[in-house]
Amino acid sequence: MNVEGEYIFNGPQQAVYEMFNDPNALATAVPGMQKMVQVDETHYEGAIFLRIGPISAAFEGVLSLTDVNPPESCTLNIEGKGKAGFAKGVGRVKFTDIGNNQTKLNYSGEVNIGGTLASVGQRMIDSVAKSMIKSGCEKLQKTLEERCQQK
Amino acid sequence: MKDRGDTVTGKYFGQPVLRLEDKHLLTGRAKFCDDIVIPGMLHAAFLRSDYAHAIIKNIDVTEARKHPGVVAVYTAEDMGDYWKVGPLQVPPPFAIKGAQFNARTLPPIAKGKVRFSGEPIAVVIAESRYIAEDACEDIIFDAEPLPAVIDLEKAWEDTSVLVHDDLPSNMAALVKQESGDYEAAKKQADVVVSHRYVADHVAGAAMENRGFVVNWDERTQEMTVWAGTQAPLPLRSAIASRMGLVENQVRVITPYIGGGFGPKVMTSQADDVLLPWISMKLNRPIKWIEDRRENFLATTSERDQVHHCEMALKKDGTILGFKDIFYHNTGAYDPYGMTVPLNTQTHTVSNYRVPNFYTEIRMVFTNEMVVTPVRGAGRSEGVFVMERMMDLAARELKMDPVEIRLKNLLKKEEFPLNTGVIGQDFVVGVLDSGDYKNNLEKCIQMIDYEKFRNEIQPKARKEGKHLGIGVVTFTEGTAVGPYEGARVTVGNNGKVSVATGYSTQGQGHFTVFAQIVAEQLNVKVEDVRVITGDTGHFHWGAGTFASRGATIAGSAIHSAAVLVREKIFATAAKLLDVPEDQVELCEGSVCVKGHPEKSVSLGDLAGKANPMRGAVEADVKPGLEATAYYAPPHGATGSGACAMIVDVDPETCKVNIERFVLVHDCGTVINPLLLEGQIQGGVSMGIGNAFYEKMVYDENGQLMTASFMDYLMPQATDMPKRMEIGHNVHPSPLNTLGLKGVGEAGALPPPPAFCQAVEDALYEYDLDLTESNLNPSLLYKFKNEATKR
Amino acid sequence: MAQLIKIKVTVNDTVYEREVEPRLLLSDFIRHELGLFGTHVGCEHGMCGACTILFDGEPVRSCLIFAVQANGHEIKTVESLGTPEHLHPLQEAFNEKHGLQCGFCTPGILMTVVPFLEENPHPSEDEIREAIDGNICRCTGYEKIIESVQAASEKMSSGK
Repeated sequence: MNVEGEYIFNGPQQAVYEMFNDPNALATAVPGMQKMVQVDETHYEGAIFLRIGPISAAFEGVLSLTDVNPPESCTLNIEGKGKAGFAKGVGRVKFTDIGNNQTKLNYSGEVNIGGTLASVGQRMIDSVAKSMIKSGCEKLQKTLEERCQQK
Repeated sequence: MKDRGDTVTGKYFGQPVLRLEDKHLLTGRAKFCDDIVIPGMLHAAFLRSDYAHAIIKNIDVTEARKHPGVVAVYTAEDMGDYWKVGPLQVPPPFAIKGAQFNARTLPPIAKGKVRFSGEPIAVVIAESRYIAEDACEDIIFDAEPLPAVIDLEKAWEDTSVLVHDDLPSNMAALVKQESGDYEAAKKQADVVVSHRYVADHVAGAAMENRGFVVNWDERTQEMTVWAGTQAPLPLRSAIASRMGLVENQVRVITPYIGGGFGPKVMTSQADDVLLPWISMKLNRPIKWIEDRRENFLATTSERDQVHHCEMALKKDGTILGFKDIFYHNTGAYDPYGMTVPLNTQTHTVSNYRVPNFYTEIRMVFTNEMVVTPVRGAGRSEGVFVMERMMDLAARELKMDPVEIRLKNLLKKEEFPLNTGVIGQDFVVGVLDSGDYKNNLEKCIQMIDYEKFRNEIQPKARKEGKHLGIGVVTFTEGTAVGPYEGARVTVGNNGKVSVATGYSTQGQGHFTVFAQIVAEQLNVKVEDVRVITGDTGHFHWGAGTFASRGATIAGSAIHSAAVLVREKIFATAAKLLDVPEDQVELCEGSVCVKGHPEKSVSLGDLAGKANPMRGAVEADVKPGLEATAYYAPPHGATGSGACAMIVDVDPETCKVNIERFVLVHDCGTVINPLLLEGQIQGGVSMGIGNAFYEKMVYDENGQLMTASFMDYLMPQATDMPKRMEIGHNVHPSPLNTLGLKGVGEAGALPPPPAFCQAVEDALYEYDLDLTESNLNPSLLYKFKNEATKR
Repeated sequence: MAQLIKIKVTVNDTVYEREVEPRLLLSDFIRHELGLFGTHVGCEHGMCGACTILFDGEPVRSCLIFAVQANGHEIKTVESLGTPEHLHPLQEAFNEKHGLQCGFCTPGILMTVVPFLEENPHPSEDEIREAIDGNICRCTGYEKIIESVQAASEKMSSGK
């Protein structure tokens, strides 16, 4: 499954980039995320409870950052495993200052899923992924606005 | 011995007798596998690999073993020496010169490496299936995933990822067959057409999933198995051999089975290898019932081939030669040999006159579940590509598709005809009977072909409707050996029992086999009790496959019944003190011709034939009983023609089948009502294949269609309003009753007929449909890629 | 282990009182708890219709309901229609028209058709086809099932 899209954040590029590298921000943004712990500079471990169609299950995963190029871009590599299957994804994110104190996020990536998740939840996965990304970005937008206000 | 003409009067044989088994099935009284309950029975659940290709690092079952209600958990390691790969179910094709075959048979449970998504890794035995599945989630499976081998053509060339590391490539087999000289024929041709075709993967998807119940009785040292299998005798032999038992210590009983369609022939899978062993170890009966997802993942399925075809013709449409190099997916293992691709090979050249041909099977290992027959069993793919090539040639030569077929169809005067191709039974195919031209002529007459072309279609086009017609022909190789057998016995109450090693999955054997016997012994059909698939009652036979029941088992039953009839005459004549030719069968009794008062009931006669005291002949064969076997010299070939008229919506690419005609020749018909049922059922599967069903694996070997939500089954509203069926009867000379098989026939022609009809409907486009399983999205894609005329 | 729940269910006019796990499917309850094996399980995800039973007179997929949801309700299964000695006219019609082959989907189809014929005693062929569209049959191709239902409607409306 391929994902692609963009989102406009109301904040400066540096702040947006930092937020994407903050495990606490990410943990609260992703729906179903139970925990996200930073292991080292570019590695995080997490647990997420996903619901895709008739399947809902817990997954444990590792998120690692590669091609780190602050504050412009980086690549997120996710690997998750659980009783309902596994998922492996790569997401390339790019940030661009579009003026007016706004930053555009461009993302593109691939997710491969397997196990029960794949064999039963096929038709849901696209829409679930899109909706997770959308609500994730909206949550991050709020977080960003709070942080900018605090400054 | 009296000849067939005298004994088959048609009182029961050939009649639409209503099924004896119905009343049990209709009232929910019939016993299926999951209905079997044995006191103390435990339940099994399998943990299956999500990964399609991975190296097993560790399987930790400690927590699972502690789960309340769990009695045991086993992995390959726990099995020790008992773990070994299964046998080859079908011998390798070494009867074909130059054949190369790498046997890699199915392991019962994964060891060291996982090779397909769904492969069993561990089995949990618990007090209930619910608990067993709970405990599966406690198992920690650690594996290192590897890239998956999926694409057939790529798998043949690419050796960077190997399904079997001990082989130099992913080649499972390479088999070439040829006749005449194709290359020379090509040089003489006016026209050469070539194309690549894809046959898609389908599932058998019987409504009842597989099941296995085993009870080891330590006190009697006997094992009883109830299994949803199409091959109870091979299953018995395999279990006995593995468990170190003699065959008659193992009894395999087939309960009522909710559909077979091929995949239930496969044995030596996790259930039938592990559960007998576990039953012995724990001294408890064990039950395993497959669920639907498991059925899609880990029960065999079929089709999935890529063909590169070429045909050389004269400009008048005469075929000079045919060449076909095709890739066949055998899945991760090849326990079923070459049955499926050999069927494909034979069915490309057993319909039309093909004086020169070259066909090559490139069988490939992939990281998918094993491929074994599904109704059609490789014939479908052969019929599909051949019919598509005929359409391609017709288009090139600007000929009508019916015209080009009539030109090349084999003539009945040519039979018996040696095809020059060795088939799944390892002998050269011989076409025995039929009038292929007449099948086609009858078919186009039934569908009003001329009227459609000249009136209906032009009128529809003027109105902006897209109606199209497709007409194809096909043959069906059936009734192959090795043999089947049966025993017919008259009981002391005058009722008759028939036991055969053949097994039943809904085909109506309990009625059809009874008809054969009732006919010979002049008893009522309902007074004949048929037992199939119970090794305790009859212990020789091969299995239910290749549309061979009526012909092979039926012929054996007929022979046995004729022998019993002879014994009846001999015994009765002695008893009534008249010459043998003076007695005749009078419904349920034997009487003297012209003296109906001098008679003896069959029941009494049976009693007399088994004296309990006194001296009898040294070579006594007690009772009114006989056993007979039938082995054909080679398979009998059915044939037919199929036409359909479709209405296509070019915007949505939805297709409605407006009319459907199938003309079929299966030789002598035992029960015309049941015959129609078999054909209609086959057709619904063929239509399902043509436009709804498709097994899809992604590039990581993940099955995306493992439920009925994604694997679309044909439903009532997907069928045409009426399947118009015509019959031709050309008895086969190969057996006394003139029978040919028919079980798979209906499934063969719909996909190519559908393609031809849709191409004809969307006439504004130069549509070229090269895939067997379409659907609206795929059709839309083909349409967009086509040029507008 | 989850707490057991007491339920009281009427099945084929008999009242059963049992204690069951909340997650026990109604199809498993009917088959394994009550020993009524006529209701078959084909997919456990509500697609095939083989497990169809009547729930307070309405056709319902028993694989999509928990046994606890049937507490206080009335269930009818295929066993309520007839016996091998006394077939229901619908069952007779299926035998006469060869409306079944392996018989696995058949009980689900019968239980779908029973309430359908009550509401539509003289259905057209198209109406019958629509009515059974939610029942998957792999053996028959549906044509003889439709003929069976037609024959049954004639039998039943003529009071046979």
